[in-house]
Amino acid sequence: MSDIAQYSDRANAWLQSVAGEFGSVSRKGLNESEDLALGRRYLKARFDAGYAGINWPVEFGGQGMTHIEKVAFETEEMKYGMPTSYFGISLGMPVPIMMKFCQDKAFVRERVLKAMQGEEIWCQLFSEPAAGSDLAGLRLRAEQDGNGWKLNGQKLWTSYAQYADYGVIVARTDPSAQKHKGLTYFWVDMKAPGVTVRPIKLAGGDSHVNEVFFDDVRIDDSHRLSPVGGGFAVAMATLMIERYVATDSAGFGPHLDLFVSLAKDLRLGGKPAIQDGRIRSALARNYAMRNSLDAITARAMMMMRAGMDPGPEGSLNKLVSVRSRQKLSELAIDLQGTDALLFDEHAPTQDNWQTSWINAPTGRIAGGADEMLLNTIAEKILGLPQDYRPDKGVPFNQIPS
Amino acid sequence: MSLLYDDAQLAIAAESRRVLEARIAAEGLLPLLERQDRFHEPFWETAKQQGWTALALPEAWDGLNLSLVELGLIAFQAGRTISGAPFLTSSYGAAQALLNYAADDLKNEWLPKFASGDAIGAVAFAEQQDVIPTRSSVTFANGKLDGSKPSVSGGARADIAIVLASEAGKPVLVAAPLEGVVCHVLQTFDNSRCTADLHFARSPAVVLVRGGGALDAALHILAHQAVVTAHEQAGGAEALMERARDYALERKAFGQPIGAFQSVKHRIAELYGLVELARAGALHAASREGKDDFLKAAAAARIQACEAYDTAARDCVQVHGGIGVTWEAGLHLHMRRARTLAVEQGNALFWEDVLVDQLAGAAA
Repeated sequence: MSDIAQYSDRANAWLQSVAGEFGSVSRKGLNESEDLALGRRYLKARFDAGYAGINWPVEFGGQGMTHIEKVAFETEEMKYGMPTSYFGISLGMPVPIMMKFCQDKAFVRERVLKAMQGEEIWCQLFSEPAAGSDLAGLRLRAEQDGNGWKLNGQKLWTSYAQYADYGVIVARTDPSAQKHKGLTYFWVDMKAPGVTVRPIKLAGGDSHVNEVFFDDVRIDDSHRLSPVGGGFAVAMATLMIERYVATDSAGFGPHLDLFVSLAKDLRLGGKPAIQDGRIRSALARNYAMRNSLDAITARAMMMMRAGMDPGPEGSLNKLVSVRSRQKLSELAIDLQGTDALLFDEHAPTQDNWQTSWINAPTGRIAGGADEMLLNTIAEKILGLPQDYRPDKGVPFNQIPS
Repeated sequence: MSLLYDDAQLAIAAESRRVLEARIAAEGLLPLLERQDRFHEPFWETAKQQGWTALALPEAWDGLNLSLVELGLIAFQAGRTISGAPFLTSSYGAAQALLNYAADDLKNEWLPKFASGDAIGAVAFAEQQDVIPTRSSVTFANGKLDGSKPSVSGGARADIAIVLASEAGKPVLVAAPLEGVVCHVLQTFDNSRCTADLHFARSPAVVLVRGGGALDAALHILAHQAVVTAHEQAGGAEALMERARDYALERKAFGQPIGAFQSVKHRIAELYGLVELARAGALHAASREGKDDFLKAAAAARIQACEAYDTAARDCVQVHGGIGVTWEAGLHLHMRRARTLAVEQGNALFWEDVLVDQLAGAAA
């Protein structure tokens, strides 16, 4: 057995040993604050077991391994429905960015240790009301104020900001520069005076995203993580970190074995639905597609282990899997007839067709909308022209709004 | 077998691509559409010269002892340039049948000739809509076959056919040398496939498998062929995606390349996705040869490949506009091939049922 297979086995054994305490079964019926508290305890246990910061440097308290072990662990962990969502962004983007770009290493080390153990949570303040896919169109202002900066403006769709202790933020420092060039990257204390967080209730009934207002929020220049005007490059560095995350060909919706049992249990036209040609076709096509995505993921893992860069086809996973999850969830709801109308808004999307369906649009928008992913494939992989961009080369404050 | 090609395999892919691109062009293929019983000789000569006919056969019969993965690589490149004959797949299917189910004398007689390309094999299972008929209308008794197998790919040029027949009402898989068998060449929309009806009349044949096992054997052979075809389809889809991309960069309308319009660039980006899914599915299936889940993997690969090639044919023509529907542009060669490959080796409807039976248990 390969080293990595042994690692996965060990991880799995540990996960199994704590699944009863932290996994999906133990989370049933918890309200959000209880679930968050359970999540914090799980992170502490995970840290103590040596599965936190797997690919982070030892000097920051990490395990000093590679992204291969990290993805291997995440792939195993995903099977248990652990309460990790509150910390996903925190440990996924802001904390690695702090390790890479913050100069005060002692401060960073303390933050990293607390974040790994679930004691502190970081959020990522990027999107705004007028800047979603077009991130560089953001307007939140950072103006020089003595030897520091003063922040004014609004962020939107900030995940778990209501629980966050700190955040990383991109702000406009020079409105007279072209839009990509007038941005600067900082970290902020989310408990600082002038920061107001308001949860936004989403279509599915949950409120994990927020709008965040900054009113004369004062930060020191030591909070700056990029050169003045060099913030966009640091924001893009985030994308490189995100390249190595566990993926799910089910689009984080229910897996096909659940669809198979549903189709075997329910009747359609007087016979088991699994005998119905429409259901069979949908099942077969979804299986074929997910089977290919899994092969792409498996090949990417092999390439990483062989020290190669995985191919660009890995970018298909999110695009293809979430769309398929959305449509398959609709079909699964159809299959259940009027029983399908019953709704438990807190049921996990991985094993409930209703919550999978109603939350699927978020998956197709957040972290790169389908249309942006298609643009990226067309432009970066196939070499097709960029869209017409009237704001190109124009100073930000002269772009018609 | 790994999902990651090794250096030798990458060399096979690069060399086969180079040779085929140098020797095959639409001008050579277009005239074949209007004539029956003609395949593209330069393609088949190349296949023999390069040893592709011997690739997946054991050394004991002059083969190169490589696997479905390598044959898939060749098929992928052949699909890119539109292979000029169906024999790589049909002979491979026939060889698999003999290798797995024939006695040594039959193997010794035919396999070396398959390896050199001197003999061509065909697989004759389907009867109209029935991909693997449980009660074939072709009957076998006392060592002789009687009846007709319709639309056999490569049938017009094959020297031996693996036939699914019935014997006293039970399935039987036989090998029938085609010397003396009446062959009626068909006019199809893809004539270089040399598709023909085979009419057996007291024709000698040798039993390979009797009873229910004959149906399992037929499915096993078909699954192997389906994986080769899935590679060919993925290759065809990739060639079309690239042609659409190239044309979208070159053709201008409304003052810019049409590839700058999202309606066009997104269409091509979606094709990229389908091509990569088809490629990954095909390679995955080839790498599962001999494993318990091979049939499942083959069915999945085939379904994904059919979708990729058909969609690429549709959308590539659409991106080209008027020029795309001309005879000379030759995109219809791919349209025709996409539909032909979708039907040969069992259509997607068939493989969907095979796959669901695998996923849900055959009782479903």
